Amino acid sequence: MKRAEPNRLVSLMVDNLIWLFVLGAFIAFSLLSDRFLSPYNLGNILLRSAAFGMLVLSQAYTFITGNFDLSVESSLGLTAMFAALMLVTSEAGGLGWQLDPLLVILLMLILGGLIGLFNGVLITKVGVNNLLVTIAMLFVLRGATYGISPGTSISFFPKEFTWLGGGTLARIVTDDGNFVLSVAGIFVILAFLVGHIHTRYTQFGRNMYAVGADADAARAAGINVDRVVIIVYIIAGVCAAFAGLLQAGRLNAATPTMGANLIFAVHGAAIIGGMSIYGGRGNIIGAFGGVLLWSILDTGLNIMGVSPFWIDVSRGLLLLFAVLLDALRVRYQHNVQMRLALADTTVGLGDKEQSGG
Amino acid sequence: MRTPNRHDLLEFLTRHFIWVVLVFTVVVFGLTIKGYLGLANIANILITGSVLGVMVIGQSLCLMARKLDLSAEGTVSLVAVVAAWLMLPYRETDLAQAGGLGVELDPLIVIPLILALGALIGFVNGFMIMKLNMNFFIVTLAMQLVLRGLALAISEGAIMPGTPAAFNWLGGGRIAGIPVSVIATIGLYLVFGFVMSRMQFGRKVYAVGANEDAARASGFSPARTVILVYTASGFLAALAGWMLLGRLETSVPNLGIGLTLNVVAAAVIGGVSLKGGEGSIIGAFAGVLFLAMVNNALNLMNVDPLWVNAVRGLIILVALIIDAQKTRYAGRAGPSAPTTTVVADADQNAAVS
Amino acid sequence: MVETGALPRRDMTLLDMRGISKSYPGVKALEDADFAVRRGEIHGLVGKNGAGKSTLMGILMGIREADSGTIAIEGETLHQASPQTMIDAGISYVPQHINLLNTLTVAENILVGNLPKNRFGLVDWKAVNEDSQARLSRLGLKLDVRQPVEGLSVAERTMLAIAKALFNDARLIILDEPTAALSRVDIDLLFGFVRAQQEQGVAFIYISHHLEEVFEICDRVTVMRDGRIVGMRAINEIDVADLIHMMVGGGVEEYQRESSAGHELVFEVQDLSRRGAYEHVSFALRRGEVIGISGLQGSGVDELAQGLFGLERMGVGDVTIAGEAYRPGSPKSAFEAGVAYLPQDRHRYGLVQLRSVRENVTYSVLDRLVGRLGVLMRQDEQAITEEYIDKLGIVTPGPEQRTLLLSGGNQQKVVFAKLAATQPAVLILHEPSQGVDVQAKVDIFNIINDLSRQGVAIMIISSEVRELIGLCDRILVMYEGRITKEFSRAADNMQPEDILLAIEGGPGDADA
Repeated sequence: MKRAEPNRLVSLMVDNLIWLFVLGAFIAFSLLSDRFLSPYNLGNILLRSAAFGMLVLSQAYTFITGNFDLSVESSLGLTAMFAALMLVTSEAGGLGWQLDPLLVILLMLILGGLIGLFNGVLITKVGVNNLLVTIAMLFVLRGATYGISPGTSISFFPKEFTWLGGGTLARIVTDDGNFVLSVAGIFVILAFLVGHIHTRYTQFGRNMYAVGADADAARAAGINVDRVVIIVYIIAGVCAAFAGLLQAGRLNAATPTMGANLIFAVHGAAIIGGMSIYGGRGNIIGAFGGVLLWSILDTGLNIMGVSPFWIDVSRGLLLLFAVLLDALRVRYQHNVQMRLALADTTVGLGDKEQSGG
Repeated sequence: MRTPNRHDLLEFLTRHFIWVVLVFTVVVFGLTIKGYLGLANIANILITGSVLGVMVIGQSLCLMARKLDLSAEGTVSLVAVVAAWLMLPYRETDLAQAGGLGVELDPLIVIPLILALGALIGFVNGFMIMKLNMNFFIVTLAMQLVLRGLALAISEGAIMPGTPAAFNWLGGGRIAGIPVSVIATIGLYLVFGFVMSRMQFGRKVYAVGANEDAARASGFSPARTVILVYTASGFLAALAGWMLLGRLETSVPNLGIGLTLNVVAAAVIGGVSLKGGEGSIIGAFAGVLFLAMVNNALNLMNVDPLWVNAVRGLIILVALIIDAQKTRYAGRAGPSAPTTTVVADADQNAAVS
Repeated sequence: MVETGALPRRDMTLLDMRGISKSYPGVKALEDADFAVRRGEIHGLVGKNGAGKSTLMGILMGIREADSGTIAIEGETLHQASPQTMIDAGISYVPQHINLLNTLTVAENILVGNLPKNRFGLVDWKAVNEDSQARLSRLGLKLDVRQPVEGLSVAERTMLAIAKALFNDARLIILDEPTAALSRVDIDLLFGFVRAQQEQGVAFIYISHHLEEVFEICDRVTVMRDGRIVGMRAINEIDVADLIHMMVGGGVEEYQRESSAGHELVFEVQDLSRRGAYEHVSFALRRGEVIGISGLQGSGVDELAQGLFGLERMGVGDVTIAGEAYRPGSPKSAFEAGVAYLPQDRHRYGLVQLRSVRENVTYSVLDRLVGRLGVLMRQDEQAITEEYIDKLGIVTPGPEQRTLLLSGGNQQKVVFAKLAATQPAVLILHEPSQGVDVQAKVDIFNIINDLSRQGVAIMIISSEVRELIGLCDRILVMYEGRITKEFSRAADNMQPEDILLAIEGGPGDADA
């Protein structure tokens, strides 16, 4: 039985490219800057991109089923603004209801879920293209965020509300500074862990992969494809609401522009983490690697005093490099397969030189 | 079975759906909003629509070739910053205002430079996609991150005010009272409308977008066509950047950010299919007009400016939902003849030796 | 609609289809067909393209509705035929192009939708792998279940698809051209697996054009022709020649073309070889001559056609057109050298279906239609389009009609128009009559005839031997990459049975 058996080591490296990148970036920044490995900084890496991480998680979910949700960046902004209005006194810009923070958190998660439900239904039941629906929703939700906002930012939230995004679990004092174990950092790790277990170890998660691999074959296997896609969009919406909660908590404020223009960097992180826009590939752990890489670049460049504006450039170039490697891998595998196919036949072998052919 | 006449009418209406919507929009707004159809207001609609309009041409070309260019808005940001940087005198950055590099090039040198830069960016996109077999979505997404980042890095996130008048002519000038940007945009639509419908290049773009294999077997080179399409898209994005910077007379970091999504929405509402090979430049123009008219009407109707975005998004959403129904209808309709051949085909293809 | 009917019960019979008829507007696809399969047998179903095999199988799978007739499984008549009832009845179809979840592992493909869980309700991957491995080994199939399906060979995918059907309690599995893309090694592997399942009592319907393989693996064979069952034989009572005779039939009035071959050599191929496709191919075409080349899938005919048109590498050897060396690097250079090619897969390579008749017809000659400043000359374009609509009798509401909306025959004529517009010296036609109705076939033969009279040298690659005999001056047969036989009008040896025998690789007695 012959099939393509590319070099094991090469394929192992290609499959885990993201971790090579993470490791490489980590080592590079450790060598380039002595402050990078400081306890304070290490504690900060995940805190800074906690909200971003939740958006990546939402995209990882939609990508697995071969879908998109561009609107999550606006869901982040809307849910945060929505929560702020209900939490804060009217003097501080809110509605003055000052609802219980836990209730507000619950309500904003429900709001995120409803947005996802709406997206999912339009895509599966009405048949609008997923890219276009979520583009339109991106406008609608961002517009609604401006609409309900008092026009300025709202701040001074109750402690219970900001705990998740800005709270500290433990502070370890060392000679080089404090290592801060942030609630948000732990939360993101937990969320990805739950996401990993959900997509890897539950029937629903595996159905997601089946839908992404081949929707028709999944349907033939008795999977309710529409239902899976709708639920995935709801999950994406809830993740976006969590992102809003984390972001508002960290800043202790909600502004109408929160989350704006993040989506392409989010997609970049998911893709470099091994997710495929065509579905059925990649895993949540890899996507977490994408988040780590993005935030290491973020903090690392920052520490080295490089203008933060180069961050996107470096991310974009890394992404291009990763796609290039992938294209080369596909070409290589194709060549191996061709060679094996030719090895099966003797036709044309009798000719002296095959160079010209 | 439908009578042929009724079918033809439906086919006509679905094919030119955007014009029906446009006429409807004009009538409704014209009747309900005072001064909507006044000259001043029409000029206003056109001026605000012109940058969007130029970008929609490039994006439509990409969509017709069954591709997408997410990097166009990055090109707008970058060329605007580069232009200001090359033209403005040096000064210390303060209060988030920056000066240029200090070379103070003449606008007549800078303009061709930035247009060439845009075309080069597009060429690189196309080359990576067609020659290196890299995924078009990811390539242009990554390119957008790179370009946007470069724009910010060069400008250090600061504004650069005071671009020279000669440079601003395209975006802010007028000829006989008519804004130059409007004339230029309409001119570009005429040119590209002609190119796509009457010239070899257009024919190839549609063929490659609709069926790349058949296009190659018909003697076309898909790689060359797509690379040209991206080059044109980059060039047009640079032109849009020039126009936008000229209108604002100040380089703002992140200029053009978020434009791509508006641009794709306008093109699709104008009947350019995401699935390639369909739509027309003139239809895309209607899509741009539609968005510009809606924006303008929302302003005139004193809709709270904070809500304008939401309402506009909703209108786009409704348009897309109607469009989806139209596609469903088109999928079902059609003369009965092909059905039988499909069956016959299946019969034969199933056992081809 | 399947009618109720009392059927005599035969214990050995698994499937009994009686009196099945089906017609489409203008076509009788099936007429009073009886077809039966016994338990645990491998039953061959053979016939030319369009003989009605797919329609019959479509009805058996419940995706098409018969006009009349009954289907009984193990003596029980089915009153309703939907895909689901057929699956429930234990009938499963394994298509030539297998539909699996490519990015997922073999194990997950086997257990999709119903993965084993541990006591926390989570997927137990160890159990998934062990369970699927155990299931496969029960069938005697050795596959690494942790491997993604996209890494499997075609034979392995086919076996996996059969295995999946068996796990779903299939009793009768339809194999549609399973060996088309397989090497001999893989065929042996697949056949070994199929035989092992047969011994467990599973029945197979084996559809194939490779008659040699039908003799190798089948117990009995049913032959179809023109929508009818011609006969059913035990495989040891019949030989290839008999089978071919049954498939071809006799006495059918066929198209007969007068030869128009000139003397001047137009197209010469000398000792052309391409690794893995064909070797030592030599032939020559004269002006106005029509030759046919026929061979099974994998014999190298398809590759030869695509190589000669520059869609693939051509290989080593000399090809000349009117004495000038010809080496196409792309379809464009082939067109320029005067070679045009009608692809077999019209939908993929022939037509740009979303675009109009006018655009499709003129794609190949755009360079010539470019006027000043690169503008296409609309009037010339219009004239060419109308000329060919008229000449080839393309039935369309107008030149602006999307080709998507035309019938198969008219679509094929549009592709012909595109090629004819280049005024080629050599025309390569790949299955030109496939997927078109009878009337369109005659039209297409007339077009071929007209073109040859204008001096075009034509090479037809087709498996429709009878049509080739009517059209061609000579017929070459390819087998395993070589031209093995030549038949010609001049030698008066163009007998369908002999040609088909040569195609199947048999010795034959019709040496040219």
